Amino acid sequence: MEKDMQTIYQSVLSRGFSRRDFLKMCAVLTASIGLDYSQNSEVVKAMEVSKRVPVIWLQLQDCTGCSESFIRSSHPKIESVLFNMISLEYTEALSAASGHQIEEARKHVIENYPGEYILAVEGSIPMHDEYLMIGGVSAKQTLLETAKHAKAILAYGSCSSWGGIPAAYPNPTGAKPITDIIKDKPIVRVPGCPPIAEVMTGVIAHLITFGTVPELDHHGRPKAFYRHRIHDKCNRRAFFDSGLFVESFDDEGAKQGYCLYKVGCKGPTTYNSCAEMRWNGGVSYPIQSGNPCIGCSESNFWDNGPFYTRMAKIPGTQTTINPEVVGAGVIGATVAGIAVHAAVTAVMNKKSDKSNKKDKVDTSDKGESREEDK
Amino acid sequence: MSIPVEKSKHEHPETRIAAKERRPVRTREDGKAYIKVYVWELPVRIFHWINAATILVMIVTGIYIGKPFLGPLVHEDATAFLMGWVRYIHFFAAFVFTANLLARWYWVFKGNKYATSNPAQKAFWVETWQTAKFYLFLRNKKPHYTGHNPLAQLSYWIFIGVGSILAMLTGYYLFFEPQPESLFGRMFSWVPMIFGDSFMIRSWHHLVAWGFIVFIVVHIYMAFREDWMERNGTMSSIFTGYKSEKKLKGKQHDDESTKE
Repeated sequence: MEKDMQTIYQSVLSRGFSRRDFLKMCAVLTASIGLDYSQNSEVVKAMEVSKRVPVIWLQLQDCTGCSESFIRSSHPKIESVLFNMISLEYTEALSAASGHQIEEARKHVIENYPGEYILAVEGSIPMHDEYLMIGGVSAKQTLLETAKHAKAILAYGSCSSWGGIPAAYPNPTGAKPITDIIKDKPIVRVPGCPPIAEVMTGVIAHLITFGTVPELDHHGRPKAFYRHRIHDKCNRRAFFDSGLFVESFDDEGAKQGYCLYKVGCKGPTTYNSCAEMRWNGGVSYPIQSGNPCIGCSESNFWDNGPFYTRMAKIPGTQTTINPEVVGAGVIGATVAGIAVHAAVTAVMNKKSDKSNKKDKVDTSDKGESREEDK
Repeated sequence: MSIPVEKSKHEHPETRIAAKERRPVRTREDGKAYIKVYVWELPVRIFHWINAATILVMIVTGIYIGKPFLGPLVHEDATAFLMGWVRYIHFFAAFVFTANLLARWYWVFKGNKYATSNPAQKAFWVETWQTAKFYLFLRNKKPHYTGHNPLAQLSYWIFIGVGSILAMLTGYYLFFEPQPESLFGRMFSWVPMIFGDSFMIRSWHHLVAWGFIVFIVVHIYMAFREDWMERNGTMSSIFTGYKSEKKLKGKQHDDESTKE
């Protein structure tokens, strides 16, 4: 733990890097946390004075996908995050220790760094405790206990941000996002299934650099990464505006790289930075690779399917429908109803005409309503 | 050519729905058994047709935006801008629709008594029920109405009133969604708190649009049916403004003095 007393700058130097390397790292960091280059000097200053921050990484109802994504960060490199910026004290996926030892480590951090450590949460929390107990303690209890003295909380992934797949209908475990359980701490939502690695490290880098949470939108997502819809930055957007669409995955349009809107792309309703950050060190992202966006960073994405059709959801339900098909059906039913109504009207009209003729003498001006049903 | 009198064969109870005192309704004597009542004033007719046209345009373009059923003739993304144009027309129609609706709301307060509706009274709902029974061929005490019957008024409250507001709120949110920090973006930034995320807002917009289509189908049928059953010129009234009314005890038309 003594090393933790070093600043990030010192720890970089002690690893054999030069000041020049350090400045390069800072420049990359500035860019990756979504800041302007003019703020580079602030990042450098922060890195010179701040110390490595202890991090507790809880894995609750998750699939470890977020951890897997995190360790693939390339800017900043995960090594520099893990060894220079943070001190990852507790994580199920990466820790060498396990069992009681690792639970000890977690308690140690809570006791020794109250108000200083960052809590990263991956996975949703079951409301029925029996679905997830870690070391004999329920997931909710673990979360509450660890969150109590945390400086800030990072909700990594769609599960901890929205409930995610565990919360998908019928949600057997009663899964909830951490924002439903913790109300009194700053929480940064970093949704995605998983989130982009550079977004995950970028958010943590911002926290360490400035000691504050980055600017958030109304859902608590960092604006630097979740400000735009994928649709607005999509490399296939020109095809959308042209009206050139992939109709099926084996057609000419698919070969030409046309817009995937008609095969269910959720880009127009999905806030994420896939289109500009891309994945695997900026190589590609689903739409670029020819697969429609499934909207994994949006709440209820699993229930908003199917993935490869354009759907609309009936408000207040989990039911998605194809609005044009259902709409045409409803119109058909309406027209059929009208035809029946018109036919009945015509028959009634004829009937009343007949009876009208019969007592034509009576139906002069003063006639009381003879035909009450009309 | 006179309309045969014997066709208007029903007697109706008087409506009890109270209407605000408005300017006298203009009528025109045609010297026969009928009197022509100026029901739909010019702003109402203009509203109706702009509303109809913009809704129709928005339905066609909206279905295209939701499910692009055509491709551009030239398969060249550098020159084709089909979806772009369709969206542009949709948005343009939306602004016209909104301005038109605002003007109509002004006319709710300034127009004649047929231009307004007040459901905040018991008689309105009693007579709505009677009208519903009338259309279901059940025994009823539906009064005769020169303007809209209360069931029709209710349908306008639901579709043209609430439906338009739902469509506009969700639509403008979606329109300004890429610029949440802009003035208009901020004006609609609260919409997700009621309607849910981007996907839910789209779903609302879509479903409301289909509600409008159902309304149009029923509305047109009802108008033709009224014309056919009552022989009162309902269909031509939306062009001319005048409906034919049987001369009755002089009471139904609040003024017959302002003859043209």
